[in-house]
Amino acid sequence: MQVLTAIAIGILFAIGIFQMLRRNVIRSAIGLIILSNAINLFLLSTGDFQGIQPAYVDTPAELRSDALPQALVLTAIVISMGGIAFVLSILYTISARYKTSDLDEIKGLKN
Amino acid sequence: MMTNQIVLLPILIPLAGAFLVLLLHNWKTWQARTAFAIMLLSLASSAWLLYQVWLTDEAVVFQLGGWIVPYGISLIADYLSAFLVLMSQLVLLLGVAYAMGAKDNNISYPTFYTLFLTIGVGLTGALLSGDFFNLFVFAELLVISGTILTAISDDRLGAEAAYKYFYISLLASAFLLLGIGSLYISYGSLNMADLAARIQANPGKPLLPFAIALLTATFMVKSAVFPFHFWQPDFHTAAPTAVSAMLSSVVVKLGVYGFLRMTTLVFVDQSETLKMLLIVLGVVGVIFGGLSAIATKNAKRMLAYSTLAQVGFILIGIGWGTMLSIAAALVFTFNHSLIKAAMLMLAGSVASRSKVKSAAFEVVSGVGRSMPYAGVLFFIGCLALAGIPPTNGFINKYLVIESGIDINALIVVILLALGGILTLIYTMRAFQKIWWYPLPDMDQHKAYGDRLIAPSLLILLVIVLGLWAQPLIQYSEVTSAWLLNSQNYIQSVLDAIIPQGG
Repeated sequence: MQVLTAIAIGILFAIGIFQMLRRNVIRSAIGLIILSNAINLFLLSTGDFQGIQPAYVDTPAELRSDALPQALVLTAIVISMGGIAFVLSILYTISARYKTSDLDEIKGLKN
Repeated sequence: MMTNQIVLLPILIPLAGAFLVLLLHNWKTWQARTAFAIMLLSLASSAWLLYQVWLTDEAVVFQLGGWIVPYGISLIADYLSAFLVLMSQLVLLLGVAYAMGAKDNNISYPTFYTLFLTIGVGLTGALLSGDFFNLFVFAELLVISGTILTAISDDRLGAEAAYKYFYISLLASAFLLLGIGSLYISYGSLNMADLAARIQANPGKPLLPFAIALLTATFMVKSAVFPFHFWQPDFHTAAPTAVSAMLSSVVVKLGVYGFLRMTTLVFVDQSETLKMLLIVLGVVGVIFGGLSAIATKNAKRMLAYSTLAQVGFILIGIGWGTMLSIAAALVFTFNHSLIKAAMLMLAGSVASRSKVKSAAFEVVSGVGRSMPYAGVLFFIGCLALAGIPPTNGFINKYLVIESGIDINALIVVILLALGGILTLIYTMRAFQKIWWYPLPDMDQHKAYGDRLIAPSLLILLVIVLGLWAQPLIQYSEVTSAWLLNSQNYIQSVLDAIIPQGG
């Protein structure tokens, strides 16, 4: 289970980073979404030593999952959702102004 | 009221105020006045906090919810964080004062003051929080507020610059979260004091260097250190003046705070490589920032590159890591915030007088001839930035160079002196272009612009702290001695008395 989780998170990281390096701004924003999900999963797996056990159950302490990373990842999800909503709304403004989604065409800042 | 609850005040007052001013958005004048009163109250509470730390000579610790120390959220004000909170709130108060007198259209945006106050909440919270995850949350609040304020800027490139910054800073928070995860796997704690004690007890975990690298990258993006600086000039140029004065002076200091905590508290035994890196990147930043500032064609952009150079000086002070050099870095941090905020406000008020609202030299050239008072202020600011007495800029450059001579780092000292000369070149060139060149067309500028009350107060502080630097230096030396013995912090946090039955 742990190996499977690790491989899945690794693949998500790879996809996210590959998409971020694309020239298309929409694709790079989607890359950011995938990357932040990969990081949230990584954060969740830091406490989930027992694989699929929930945080609060009547099992003995060594079989219980750590509750703290679950609290952390909840906060991180909310923040990344807000951040990505904001990124997409700015992208909407920018692509409406430049009529393109190609990063090389958006060059207002290059004097 | 428990004395340790005052740690909450500098966070809660602006946070409550942020919502209060949102209710007042139909009454613009009162909205601005309320925001100013709230920042004043908040500044008073942070001064009280600093006094409390000074009085008790240990960290003021407050545990939210009354959990025992390594658990729960702790808010900690020690010498360093109380000092930086006071500095931030002072500059933010004057930022609100500048916004009240500014002619920008975006000031009338209903949430302008709300977002301005949440910059204060984010910055204060990040400085006062005792664990890395809470620091991440407050830093995100800070980043989002700053980005929205830039996106609504009068400059039409604001949205683009905001996107660039926000994208990079989301990546930086991704690094921070990865670092937090690595530390949590290895040591099972995120409280800085607890983490420091655990790392000292067991430094050999394989993920530790990885976590240090990720946190370093995060704080480098936050304070725009040389290879991670590319977003900074665009972002600070496009932001509204009142906001860019905050971004370029106090917000970049969050990274400085992070590096101080990393090298003196959490990763003390592992920090040799990091310190070396800070010295090298600091020197590169000083030279690169200076040369880039000379090459720019816009006054605000020049000042943004100048921040890159001046933060370099601070990082070198942290990198040397002696008592004198850390004290020098702290004095530099404080003084640079005042100088840079004043200079950006002056550049912005010049830009507000020109026909096209821009601080490009071709637009503002000669505009200053009708505003001699601003010229005097700008000239004093130039002297302070270049480190010429009787300004406070001289004190901090002198302290950094003295601490370098003290440990025989002569090559770095020579390069720093060269960086100081570069500063003199670009500031004087800007002064000459704005105030000496003849105005090409007389009716090209407006008779009224942004009010000069906030930069006047800042320049007054610049001179006062240049002539009467003793208290600041003394405080910085006490702080530096406190920081260099990391047990001070660890003990006063882990032994904090928790009120029962709360």
